[in-house]
Amino acid sequence: MNVPLWLVPALPLAGFLICGVLGKKLGKSFVSAVGVGSVGLATVAAYSRLLPFVFGSRAPVVETVGGWIAAGSFSVDIAFRLDALSALMTSFVTFVGFWIHVYSIGYMRHDESDAGYARYFAYLNLFMFSMLTLVLAQNFLLLFVGWEGVGLCSYLLIGYYYEREYAAAAGKKAFVVNRIGDFGFLLGMFGLFGLFQSLDFDRVFSTAAADPARYAPFLTVVALCLFVGAVGKSAQVPLYVWLPDAMAGPTPVSALIHAATMVTAGVYIVTRCNVLFRLAPDAMAVVAVIGAITAIFAAVIALAQNDIKKVLAYSTVSQLGYMFLACGVGAYVAGMFHVMTHAFFKACLFLGSGSVIHAMGGEQDMRKMGGLKSKLPLTYWTFLIATLALAGIPPLAGFFSKDTILAGVFEHQRYVLWGIGIVTAGLTAFYMFRLVSLTFEGKFRGTHEQEHHLHESPPSMTTPLLILAALSVIGGFVGVPKVIREVFGSAREQNAIERFLSPIFVPLEESVEHALGAGTEWLLIAISVVAAVTGLLLGWNWYAKQDGRIPARIAATFPTLYELVEDKFDVDEAYDFLFVRPFNWLARMLWKVVDVLIIDGLLNAGAFLVELTGDLLRFLQTGNVRNYALTFFLGVVGLLLIVIGFTY
Amino acid sequence: MTTTRLVFDAAAVVALLFAAVMVLHRHPAKSVLSLVVSFFALATCYVLLTAPFIAAIQVIVYAGAILVLFLFVIMLLNVQQEEHRGDPHPIQRVLSGAALLLFGAMLFGLLRSHGGAGLPSDSSPIPDPDDLAAIARLLFSDYLLPFEALSVLLLAALVGAFVLARREKAS
Amino acid sequence: MISGIPLSDVLLVSGGLFVIGLAGALLRRNAITIFLSIELMMNGANLALLGYGAALHSLEGQIVVFFVIAIAAAEASVGLAIFVALFRHTETIDVNEIHLLKW
Repeated sequence: MNVPLWLVPALPLAGFLICGVLGKKLGKSFVSAVGVGSVGLATVAAYSRLLPFVFGSRAPVVETVGGWIAAGSFSVDIAFRLDALSALMTSFVTFVGFWIHVYSIGYMRHDESDAGYARYFAYLNLFMFSMLTLVLAQNFLLLFVGWEGVGLCSYLLIGYYYEREYAAAAGKKAFVVNRIGDFGFLLGMFGLFGLFQSLDFDRVFSTAAADPARYAPFLTVVALCLFVGAVGKSAQVPLYVWLPDAMAGPTPVSALIHAATMVTAGVYIVTRCNVLFRLAPDAMAVVAVIGAITAIFAAVIALAQNDIKKVLAYSTVSQLGYMFLACGVGAYVAGMFHVMTHAFFKACLFLGSGSVIHAMGGEQDMRKMGGLKSKLPLTYWTFLIATLALAGIPPLAGFFSKDTILAGVFEHQRYVLWGIGIVTAGLTAFYMFRLVSLTFEGKFRGTHEQEHHLHESPPSMTTPLLILAALSVIGGFVGVPKVIREVFGSAREQNAIERFLSPIFVPLEESVEHALGAGTEWLLIAISVVAAVTGLLLGWNWYAKQDGRIPARIAATFPTLYELVEDKFDVDEAYDFLFVRPFNWLARMLWKVVDVLIIDGLLNAGAFLVELTGDLLRFLQTGNVRNYALTFFLGVVGLLLIVIGFTY
Repeated sequence: MTTTRLVFDAAAVVALLFAAVMVLHRHPAKSVLSLVVSFFALATCYVLLTAPFIAAIQVIVYAGAILVLFLFVIMLLNVQQEEHRGDPHPIQRVLSGAALLLFGAMLFGLLRSHGGAGLPSDSSPIPDPDDLAAIARLLFSDYLLPFEALSVLLLAALVGAFVLARREKAS
Repeated sequence: MISGIPLSDVLLVSGGLFVIGLAGALLRRNAITIFLSIELMMNGANLALLGYGAALHSLEGQIVVFFVIAIAAAEASVGLAIFVALFRHTETIDVNEIHLLKW
């Protein structure tokens, strides 16, 4: 008996309802059990379908729950899809999500009231429901429901500490910027419906693939519109500004939503729509360029950030850039591979930072940390492993995924973008080891009370760290490149993940790619490893060994440049000037002039006219009966005249 | 010119004359009395129009009760002769006069040209003027509802008049 | 022709009564006189009704007049009661002087 697919998102939805309605009254233990249990059950349910899928028949499965909209020629069903792509996404969304829920128990337990605790888990469950709906949907509209839902939960959870003005504002910012992306997504959906008269994945993609010449001209626009949605949701340039501020939310939220799952939705949609993009090469070029620009831009900003979570946030933006770069050049498998590995090590990093912040009693500024290695050993080692993975050091997971991306970019002959990717890899290693050094190495730079408070986190928090670190180590082995596998005796053309995801890519009439020679591949691997190691050593040397003297001197020599980078290139300020202020002005204009003066004025004028008429008419009421009688009579005479007039 | 017509014309002239007197007289009591005479003349007309029952009702109820009630009220309120004060709204008179002339002209013109036209030929039997039972039969069959409603109306008028006219109780 | 009386004559008389009553109602200032004029108008109508009843050989004219007279009685009593109550307050019967309902 098959567990129905709809049950997977439905379980967290039930968790949301229960925690939301009853949680306040029933206490933290109940909320913990339900909130984490619902996701746990969803994970089990998911894997009960995933495992047979992976190890058995890999034919796509569509399960329709029922009709949803049927309006003339427009009809959409509530239908879920299990294929390689959705299986991949579901596998780590549920698994990582589950462990983050477990982590949250330890993280949120002490500081929050029962009501706050229940609210947190309710929203987190609602998020899981939305995300799972997103990845399991069979049509664009149901996906959009999930898409909006994750945006909503992002807002709710970023603004979880709603009493802090900064957090509330950050939540709003996330929602508004996301909305801009969503608008693009909607336009894309309209376009799709206009072209294909359907929003169902199978229908759209098969129709497009069957007649490329007919649809290709329009698909550039449609694909770009959908990509705008991805830009918003996955924090690419220019819509990335919400992600760093989103760090105002609780750290597990940052780990789950803003590292492992929600932000990958953009990459998911691009990969899901690969047919459309591959038929619109110009759109793909845009995707690749934006991905590359975002990757390097965010990496540069991360160099000068002092808040531990902000560094990780910009790192996420940068890594997402890598994923889009991969998809943009056509290396979709590489992109999705990196999505998965990134989920493991980035979530581990965020949870680790949460552990650090928890131990520091809420402090997030790295300049006040240091020497935590001895006090928080578990956190340190897991953090280090995840950092090595992110930096791309073999044989950890990040190395394989990042290398696949870079090889793919090079293979498609986009050498400039490849160069950007290599430089960014170096920067990534550098700023990550800057982070590790400042936080864990050297001497403690904080206050005495903080030093006393330092303690390793409880098992509910360290267990997820261990599990995610382990996955960061072994997670890459599903995507080992051919040249390395040959060393170990495998003769297969494709690695595990390539084989797994290949059904997603319907064959189109594309130019045959030039496969790289073995020598070139080894060279590329070597270059990327060298870049990573260089960055690592430099970062460690400058910050751990030399206590940050050289960077301080550089900052002193170029103060304006340093400040510019530290202030994230003043992008927010620019947006405020270009967009926010004009809108505020417009809103005020519409209020004070259009609404108050014109509309209210018209209404008031109408009322005034009525009053005036009444004032004039009352003079008929003379109180004199004879006048009334005369008026009657005159009316009768008038009527008679009319009647006689008509009769003759 | 038959006798009936002659008598009718005479009675009509009397009625009109005394009606005019009523309208013109200064003292309301005298107006009432002129109207009484006018009503008597009208009753004669009614008889000539084969409606003796109505004539009797006219004399008993209209002249004998309603106008007597008027007299009672005049005496109760001790209404004096109307004083000769200038009319503060002469426009009322002018307009009224003009409208009346117009109306009168229209009315008489209409009656001249159409009075009596379009009537069916006298084929149906003339009702017996002395047959009171016929009227009673009609009242209690076809016109039963108005009849009963009328009784309710009279009750309402009775109560209303009583309530309206009583003195305020000194509190 | 009902027993020698042409209908047009009857209607003329009726119209005349009506107009005289109307003139009285519009042009007199004495409230009681106005009321009497109204009664006169009703009588004019009664005459017309009876005239047509006779011309059409129908008893219905008489029935209607019966009702009219009864209603006139009710109306007169109530109207006079109103006058009585009003004039206790205002002590005048000049209609021009009574304008309690003026704007």
